[in-house]
Amino acid sequence: MSNIPDITVQNLGKTYEVPQREPGLGAALKSLISRTTRDVEAVKNISFSVAPGEIVGFLGPNGAGKTTTLKMLSGLLHPTAGEISVIGHTPYARHKNFLNRITLVMGQRNQLMWDIPVADSFERNRAIYRISHGEYKKTLDELSTLLDLSDLLSKPVRNLSLGERMKCEIAAALLHRPQVLFLDEPTIGLDVTMQRRIRAFLGEYNRRHSATVLLTSHYMADVEALCKRVIIIHHGELLFDGDLSALIERFSPHKTIVVDLETERADLSSYGEVITAEGNSVTLRVPKTKTADVTGKLLANLPVIDLTVEDPPIEEVIEQVFSN
Amino acid sequence: MYYLKLIWTFFRIGILNEMAYRVNFYVQLLQSLLSLGTAIAGLAIVFSHTDTLGGWQAVDILALLGVFMFVGGVIGMVISPSMSQLMDDVRRGIFDYTLTKPCDAQFLASISQIRVWRLTDILLGAGVLIAALIYRGLDIGPREALAFAFVLCTGGSIIYSFWLMLATLTFWFLRIENILHIFQSMYEAGRWPIGIYPHWLRYILTFLVPVAFAITVPAEALSGRLTPESMITSGLLCAFLIAFSRWFWKRGLKNYSGASA
Repeated sequence: MSNIPDITVQNLGKTYEVPQREPGLGAALKSLISRTTRDVEAVKNISFSVAPGEIVGFLGPNGAGKTTTLKMLSGLLHPTAGEISVIGHTPYARHKNFLNRITLVMGQRNQLMWDIPVADSFERNRAIYRISHGEYKKTLDELSTLLDLSDLLSKPVRNLSLGERMKCEIAAALLHRPQVLFLDEPTIGLDVTMQRRIRAFLGEYNRRHSATVLLTSHYMADVEALCKRVIIIHHGELLFDGDLSALIERFSPHKTIVVDLETERADLSSYGEVITAEGNSVTLRVPKTKTADVTGKLLANLPVIDLTVEDPPIEEVIEQVFSN
Repeated sequence: MYYLKLIWTFFRIGILNEMAYRVNFYVQLLQSLLSLGTAIAGLAIVFSHTDTLGGWQAVDILALLGVFMFVGGVIGMVISPSMSQLMDDVRRGIFDYTLTKPCDAQFLASISQIRVWRLTDILLGAGVLIAALIYRGLDIGPREALAFAFVLCTGGSIIYSFWLMLATLTFWFLRIENILHIFQSMYEAGRWPIGIYPHWLRYILTFLVPVAFAITVPAEALSGRLTPESMITSGLLCAFLIAFSRWFWKRGLKNYSGASA
């Protein structure tokens, strides 16, 4: 790995001009003649960089500006402010050397053709990316093994399940062996097993090829499994950029203590907020600063069989971040 | 070479796509034969009342019909479906995938959909054209043939550029399929030599919706009535429209990448 980042973003901003219309027929007719617009700042003054081979989770609620940023990084949108450099290129110039080395996967939009076998859609990408037959076969073999595609390739896309289709979409997007992967909700709508499958694949792909990955997802399990580092944006602004563990450290003022007791139905509400109490196992939420204190008291005063201190689930932390 | 290979790949995919719905082939063949039948019946009726129409003999109009079907087949096979697909892709956001490909987006969009069965129109059109020429005693020399090939190519490019400009409007307005329907009905007027129409309509069919250059002018080349002026005009208009539609396309893309969310 070199020290030059694959992705550098400096003071990036994007303002959309959005047509504005009052409800009603009169206003609709008026808008045919003169449109009034207002400016919407989708992304404001964002800066970050991503090193080669890094997987970064890009988080934020709907409308936070994640997709807009990914689109600017992949060259689809012109920024209205700031600078972007991806593998040494300015994305929106859409230079062939740049496009040859990146890929974009959007979980909600498909590029495979509906009526023809998957392999033939792949063939189209092979031709467009000028992949030699030898190289193509090697890549396809590898992707088939990792994603278990061999039975799917000869089927028309319309006969595939959502999860199977997503696996094929991802394979189609990787045939040209891109260095940088922009993945916008690649696991959306998939069942848990398939999510895990795709997650495992992305991790493995990253390890094998040191590909740089920028990933957005609403599923925290994706992020926890794949990303050591997360970037959080909210209302177009950067809220946090750092390790996942640091995020929890910084935004969660609580810890969770799970105690197993010899007695059943013990009342522990004097030690902290009881979240669940089932049988002889009780889960407590306590302020982080009091964790040691409460743990000590529990061990001293009660017949404890087992005790664990955990960080709260990442979903809870993220919720905390956005509510501030 | 790269572009030729790509065209071939898309053509093959077009065949595969159509194979998924094989009945379509027979429907298309039937439709082509029916439209040829009614067109010839129409010609027969007209020429049972008169020997010439606007100075054109029956056999020349038959050749014109051949050109009409041939060009209509090319439009129906590649241009119209690809441009409709483009509009659809832009609306659904799938056009993003075209833009992330290391290949000219206009080129990819222009060949994205190939309706292979429309080859029936192209072949029937060519057949009618050749039949008309044989009936006339194959009286065209290499000069006429060359001139014909030239104005057919320029005419075809004019139609393509025109269609591309209409489709490019989708970057601003999103829903404009109706414009394409208008074009389709205007194209129907091209089955007769435009000289028979009133002056104002002739003007529209020449410059506003350039059907004249795609059909009448090539047919003129075959019946020896092509003037050097029409040939030069066709060439110049073709060069201008290719350049202009390209410029317009780039403007559209700029708008797309500036505004789309």
